[in-house]
Order: sequence, then C-alpha cells, then structure tokens
Amino acid sequence: MTNLRTSVLAAALALAAFTTPALAGKGGSAAAIRTAIASHSSDAIIAEVERAESLACGECVQLVTALTESDRYEVREVAGWWFAKRPGLAKPLSEGFLQELASSNGTTVRNAADFLGSTVTYAALPGLRSAIARDVGTDAKLAIVRAIASLGHRDGAATLRIAMTDANASVRAAGVSAWRELRDVTDGTPLVGSLTDPDATVRAAAATAVGALTTLGARGALETVVISDPDAQVRRNAAWALGKLGVAASRPVLVAASADRSGLVRMTAKAALASLK
Amino acid sequence: MKLLGNTFALTATLLGAALGGGACGGGNDTGPLGQVDSLLILQRPARIESGDIFQYTSYKAGARIVKLTPPTADGTLETLFPTAAQSAQLGVDASQADVSGYDLSFDAKQIVFAAKLSEGAHYGLFLLTLADGTVEQIPTDAGRDYTSPIFLPGDRVMFTTNEVVEAGAKQHMDEYERGTTLQLGRINLDGSDEELGPRNLSHRTFPTLASDGRIMFTQWDHLGPENSGHLMFVNQDMQELREGFGKEGHGASNSTLKAQEIAPGRFVGIATSRSRTVQAGAIIDIRLGEVVTKDGNVSAATAASEANSSYVALTPDVPRDNKPSADTVGRYYDAFPLNAKDKPDLLVSWADGPVESSVLSAAGIPANFGVYLYDSAHQTRRPILDDPAMWDVFARPLRTRTAPPLVQSATDASLNGAFLIGSLNAYKSTLKQFTPGSIYGVRVIEGYSSEEGFPRMFGTTMFEGQAQLGVARLAADGSWLATTPANVPTALQAVDKFGMALFVEPVWFSGRKNESRLCGGCHEDRAATTNIAPGQLQAFAIGATPMRGTTARADRKSTLADLANPNIIGNDGAGVEKLVGMAWDKAIQPVLDAKCVSCHGDSNTAGVAPYTIMDPVSGETVSWTFNLSGTKKPLVVNGEDLAGEWPASYFSIAGPDMEAIEKANLVTAGNFKVYMKPQAARDSLLIQKLNPTVVFPSPTSERAFPGMTPHSTGGRYSELTATEFYKLILAADLGVNYYSRENNPGL
Repeated sequence: MTNLRTSVLAAALALAAFTTPALAGKGGSAAAIRTAIASHSSDAIIAEVERAESLACGECVQLVTALTESDRYEVREVAGWWFAKRPGLAKPLSEGFLQELASSNGTTVRNAADFLGSTVTYAALPGLRSAIARDVGTDAKLAIVRAIASLGHRDGAATLRIAMTDANASVRAAGVSAWRELRDVTDGTPLVGSLTDPDATVRAAAATAVGALTTLGARGALETVVISDPDAQVRRNAAWALGKLGVAASRPVLVAASADRSGLVRMTAKAALASLK
Repeated sequence: MKLLGNTFALTATLLGAALGGGACGGGNDTGPLGQVDSLLILQRPARIESGDIFQYTSYKAGARIVKLTPPTADGTLETLFPTAAQSAQLGVDASQADVSGYDLSFDAKQIVFAAKLSEGAHYGLFLLTLADGTVEQIPTDAGRDYTSPIFLPGDRVMFTTNEVVEAGAKQHMDEYERGTTLQLGRINLDGSDEELGPRNLSHRTFPTLASDGRIMFTQWDHLGPENSGHLMFVNQDMQELREGFGKEGHGASNSTLKAQEIAPGRFVGIATSRSRTVQAGAIIDIRLGEVVTKDGNVSAATAASEANSSYVALTPDVPRDNKPSADTVGRYYDAFPLNAKDKPDLLVSWADGPVESSVLSAAGIPANFGVYLYDSAHQTRRPILDDPAMWDVFARPLRTRTAPPLVQSATDASLNGAFLIGSLNAYKSTLKQFTPGSIYGVRVIEGYSSEEGFPRMFGTTMFEGQAQLGVARLAADGSWLATTPANVPTALQAVDKFGMALFVEPVWFSGRKNESRLCGGCHEDRAATTNIAPGQLQAFAIGATPMRGTTARADRKSTLADLANPNIIGNDGAGVEKLVGMAWDKAIQPVLDAKCVSCHGDSNTAGVAPYTIMDPVSGETVSWTFNLSGTKKPLVVNGEDLAGEWPASYFSIAGPDMEAIEKANLVTAGNFKVYMKPQAARDSLLIQKLNPTVVFPSPTSERAFPGMTPHSTGGRYSELTATEFYKLILAADLGVNYYSRENNPGL
C-alpha cells in the first residue's frame, strides 16, 4: 500500500474516532457497512455501500478503502464506484493505485486495475498497457482487461491487442470480448486472427465480436469456422456472425450449417440465411 | 415418488407424509390444482448471493427444468432439461447450465428458457420441444445476456437483454452508474427478426403477458427524487408505454416485480426492496381499476389506470422492505395465480426464516425456496416440492392457455425514424394547476448515463446527463408536437416564456422509430377518456417541432463556439435550438467570468459572508465563501473533500450534496445557500436574483419576477444577454450538472 493511501486511511481513522456513527444518504450508515462486511455477503456489502453513495463519513472512507483489496471482484468494484462518487477522495487514491500498477505483485496490480477502472481514471491507460506486458499473473491481466472495458476509451486498444496474444486463453478471450466495448472502435479486423486461436473460448468470443462489429474481412475465416470448427459454440457464433455480415456468398456454408449436428447451431444458421442480402 | 438423492428423499418423504398424498390436487379435482396433471418447476442450485432485483448474471451450474406429475408432494419428478440426450444433441455439457427463467407456450408443447451454459458464457435463449425433448438455441448475440423470456402471440418471444438497440452506442448504466441495464426485446421463434425496444435510463425486467395482449414489466424509474421500481405496460411491439402500478403514491413498496395476471386488470406481484432481499418479498394482489366480482371471480379492468389502482396484501406479515423476515414468515420469490377468487389460490415459491442477504451470508446458509400451494384466504401453505439443495421456483401448471390477441401499434414511416410525441392540451394535469396562458411550450430533454465516457457522476446533484432537444411551442388549444430521437430516454418540462420549467414530469420515457405517442396532457387524468382527433388539433396544423429526431447521438450537442457565444439567441428568438448541453466550464463559467467574478471572485470584493459546516461531535468546522471563479478550492469535511474537484463557481451555486450533509448530522450555519435547484430554475435563488427576461418566442425586456430588483441594477455589471440568462436557466432545469456531452472527459 502506498504512503498516500496510508495517510488517507490514517486521516479517516483519526476523524472516525471523533465522529458519530453517521447515517448515510439513502438510509445507510458506517455501522451498516461494517455489519455487512462482517456478514461476508457480497449482496449486503454492495447494498450498503450503494446506500452510502452520498455520505460524508470518515469511518466509511476507512471501511471502503479496505474493500478495494477484497478477494472478490464485485466488492472491489463497488468500493471503486463509491470513491468515483467522491472525486476529491478518489483522485489521491488513484494516484497511489497508478503507482501500484508498476508493482511486481500480481494481487497489487489486480486491485489497482480494478480501482482505476471502476473510478474511470483515464490517466491509467498508459500504466495498464505497461502492466499487461509484464508477468503479473492471469488475475491481474484479467483485471487490466476489465479496466480497459470499463474505461471504454479507444486508447485502450493497444492494451487489448497485447491481451489477445497472451499465453493464457482466458486473458486472450477477455481481450477479444473487450474490444467491442471500446467507444468509437468499429473495426474488428484485429480480431480476425483469433478465429483460429487454439482455444475454443477465444474463437467463440472472436466470432461474436467480428459479427457484432460487422467485420466483412472476417467472412472467409468465419465460413471456415462454421463448417469445420470442432466446438459447437464456436460454430454457432460463427453462423450468427455470418448472418450479421449478411453477404450472399455465405449461403452455401450456412445451408450446410443448417443441418449441423448441434442444436446450438441449426436455428442460428437458418436465421442467418434469412438475413443474407 | 422418484427420488433424486438421499437428502431430497427425506424431504420429499416428510412432505408426502404431511400432505397425506394428493392433498394439493391430483386425485382431488375440486381443489385449485384439481384440473392440473403436472407442474413445471425451475430448480436452480441454491446460492447465497443473487444480487439486487435487477441483477441477472448470477450463475451456478446444475439448474434444471422439471415436471412434477401429479402436482403433489408424492408426484413423480422428471427432468426436462438438461438430459444426457440433450447434451449429446447440443454438443455441450448441459449439466453445467444455469437457467434463470422460462415460459410455457400457449399450446403447452414448448418451453422457452434463458440459460447460461458455462461460467464464461452469457445467458441465451433456448427452445425445448416437450414431445421429443429436443433443444435448439434461439440465435442471439453471444456476447450479451438475454433473460426472462415469455411467449408472445404470433410465434414470437419477448425477453430482456443488455444488448443495445442503438448501433454504435453503449447500453445505459443504471441509476447507480454501476450495472448495465436490461431492456425489452422480441424475436421470432425461428430466430429471425430480433427487435430491441426503446431504452429506459435504468432497468426493465420480468415481462409478463396480460390477457389484453399488452406486456406488463418492472421498470426502474430514476429522475431526481423518483427512485423506485414500478409496473409499466407496453404493446407487444414495445410501443405505447403506459404506467401500470406503483407511482403516484399507490405502490406497496419500493419495488414491485414478477407480476402475473390473475384476471383482467388484476395482477399478483412481489413487493420488496431493491436490494438484499434475494429478489423475494411479500405477495400483493394488484387491482388496476374498479373491482368487479362476477361468479366469484374478481377482476379490475374497468377504468383501469394507475390513479385508480389499489392493492391487497396477501401475505401481510412478510416485510416489504429489506428487513430480515421472521421465522415461519419468510419471503416469497414468485407467485402464480390458480384462480381469480377474491382471495386467490396461488402456486408460490417460499423460503422460511430471515431471507436477507447479510443474515444468510453470515450463517453461510442460502435461502431455501420450495414450491407451495398458498391459500391466501387462510394464509396457509401446503408444500409441494422442496429440494434443499435447490431453489424451487416459478412453478406453473403444464396446460394450454388462451393466447391473447396480437397487439400492434401504428407506425408512421414519414417520421423517417424519429419518435413523434405530443399532447392534446398541456394544461390538463392531475399534478399541477397551471395558470391559463402561463405555458409557452414543452421542453424535451434527453437523458444519458456514464456509458458515454463520463465519470460516474455528472455533478454534486446526482442527476443523470441531460441535453435539451428543443422546446415545442403550444398551439392556442394547448396542443403540441415534436419529433425526437427514437430509442432514447426523454423527459418533459412545461416551460414559461422565460424558458423556466413550470412543471417537470419526473420520469423518463422513450419510443421506437416511427412511433407516435400522444397524451391527453401533462400527467393528465389517466382514468379520463382521451379522444384524439388529430384533424382538430392546432398542433397538427402547425406541424411538429423538429428536435433532432434523426440526428446521431454524438451530434446531439452544442458546438463550443455556440456555447461561448453570449448572443447566440438573436432578437428574433432564433438560436435557442443551438443550446443543448450546459457543460459548466464551457457554457456557464464564461457568463460568470464576464459578469460576476469581478465582485464574486477569489477576492470576494462583494463581501459575501461565508457559511460553515460543523460536525457537532468532533467540533470540526469548515468554512466556504461564495466564489464564482473557475478555480478549485478544497472543503474537507470528515476526511472528504466535498468541493475540491469542482470549480468554486460550481460548488458555490450547486452546493454540497444536501442529503449527505443532513444524514451525516452535520450542521450548516452562517450564510448557507444553494443557488440553483436541480430542475427548478424558477425556484433558484440565483435565477431570482438575476431576474431574467423573456426569451420565448423572442427576447423582450419583461422580467420574470416583477417585484424583485434585478441584481444588475445600479450598473454593477452590464446586464446579461438573453442567451446568458437562458444558459443559466437551462443549467438549473437540466439538473445543475457539471458534465454534459460538450465537456465529456472520456472522448
């Protein structure tokens, strides 16, 4: 933990010692957050942190700061959200987390990425890109991709390109899926190569994404996949994507896919046929 | 009974003994289940976390759709999905699927269900044919979730989805700026013609089909002080959005969900809190209109309107908020009516004890929902199925039902993709008494959330992003029309000739491309008959006011040059339409810099007294001095800087979050004032002090507040232009936000 974050905590602790248990905006309270944390219920923690959306409460700062290092993503996310509603607090914390992106500890990087994504800290884009190129572990890399998707900024594309070449398939799949979450990015060409990825989840994600982005350059690869991929979900997504592209030349492969052995594929292929121009 | 396992065997045996066999029907054809051969039941693996009532991504492998024959505790349980044969047929291990909802076709031959096949997948739609057990996936975007399917007449399925109707746009974030919202859509059973409905600014969920052919669903309404889940209606084509139940003080709880029709105009639903209740609550019997009893059946379709609606609590002991429920009281996950008696018999899913997330989680025990037959007259439950490892929910009789009529709405291709809105007479309202002649026109506002790249707040007032699409002038008969963007959340304000809101409709609504929506008035009496005679409306003769109906989202904003121009509104009134979003630093600060900061800047030469915020326990006191400069000044209270990330001008005018101040027991003293009230320019101190002049239809020197001396009197500063007045008014009426599209930091 950075000195900066430690001092924020210390300030909050000092104030908490002198303040009453505050009743939060929309009915929450620091005590309610504490009780929810003690229950270990993500639902309860999220509900109470949400209810403290607008509370000026030093004790809450302490409690929610600790939640930014929870083992559970959904808890880290709501903690980041709570700080996002407090730009005056989020800014110094973000500066600390930006530094932590350079850490060699994967958990530290993971928590930093989740905080910076959920607080919509665009200044994190360069740090996220640097971090994903290092050996920070799968969890951290997945968090980096999540952060890029949350930010949705086109400058996150470079980070996703790196993710798409990662050794871990879940990182590659996440990178492919996040591509379409970038605002103003409509070109799915960088995803076409993932249609031949050795992992089926990556291929499935790529087929969906190029279809959603109507990437005409993916047609050939999709036509191959829809006929020959061993995974039913990949074939199904490829059929759906070909329907989105709507190119009449895809008719023969979609006719063939209409008789696919899998019930996942058949109706999708028939519907895709109906959408060809 | 065919048992699924040892644990279940014991439970089932006990239930069977308790019922004495056949107690719920089957062999007793006079009971509420007497004519029912089988029940369909969804079994989801029990879980501790399921999120708030709008969360739809919860996943735990091992769900199944089962058939219980006969519908008694000693009936035989058959798994309809997933089976080994279906796994082979689909080419996936279907035993890893979770299923979140389903519906039975009108002819009782097919089931449509929403399933997630694995942890990394999304919920999609599947069609199960009961005769042969085959399953096919209905084609949808595999990168998005599709949930809550229901059959529609005409071989269609309606669903909710986080897929977005607007190409290139991102789906709206919800009222907390956290979750991606669900909206309505429909698709043909053969997978063709997927259509996505117009968007609300927050979630829509749990659609259900009414006998009149309309769809009732739960919509989260959030605009200013409004913050709750209400029941709404749309036609099957997702047009003609109308209020159903829960607004105007008629609701039974913060949220009403999972509605099912009992009889025309009468629904059973779950009343609960938004969060911590495992999406479960009390059962209420909703009557939308006048209650009529015929042959022992109760309906309420006559004069059905939200204003006439009422409800009966069928489980009066069950909390409707998020308090932990008591032992033997529990909470209900869903309810399905078996008849239309005054006190109906219901198939319910119920769990005993404290059905509340934190209590359950602390105990490490999930809620145990089982299926029961509920006699609401005597408030008694009879168990039918309770597998302790599963949530046994959404029990439905396996039988045919009458398909309601196909309900289509008119569309007008001449709108070129826009959405036509208007009203017959804006003066008609049940919520506001207007002075005749006081309304100049109706302002239409577009709403958006942080998905466009904003931080997760637009300012200190907690309002969503807003853009003025335009102001439609009222015709002499009070009518007005406007062509607005389709699929976009919009809200209405009746405005006076100064451009200030006289009345704000506290909800967002939206319509599809080429849809026309005419209301009687401004929140008119919904029980009254609205006779629309277009040929007689003056607004039709004048024509609709164009309000960016076909303008792309990214272009629905002011240019920075127009925002900076103090004379964009000409002497003839032209130019008003160029003011869209009131980005504080681009639109408002220039006005303040030009006219105000010489006296109200950092040096406070005007000598405005400060105010203080004090924590009465610690004695910590901080002070804030009115300052209209663009510099940033800290104001640290309880370790939190309330002001420092905003320009001093914004914080001075918008003020701190008052709810936070009040609920934290902080004490304000001295010269404490909030100068702009969100969506209330007319009640805002700043606007009153400046005393703006007429802007509509063209600027004049007439003042808005005749008895008040304008602040400019005495030559303190050169009087504001009509443009400058209107920009300040707009800033107030658009929620006193700091951010708008014109200063989006995410671009």
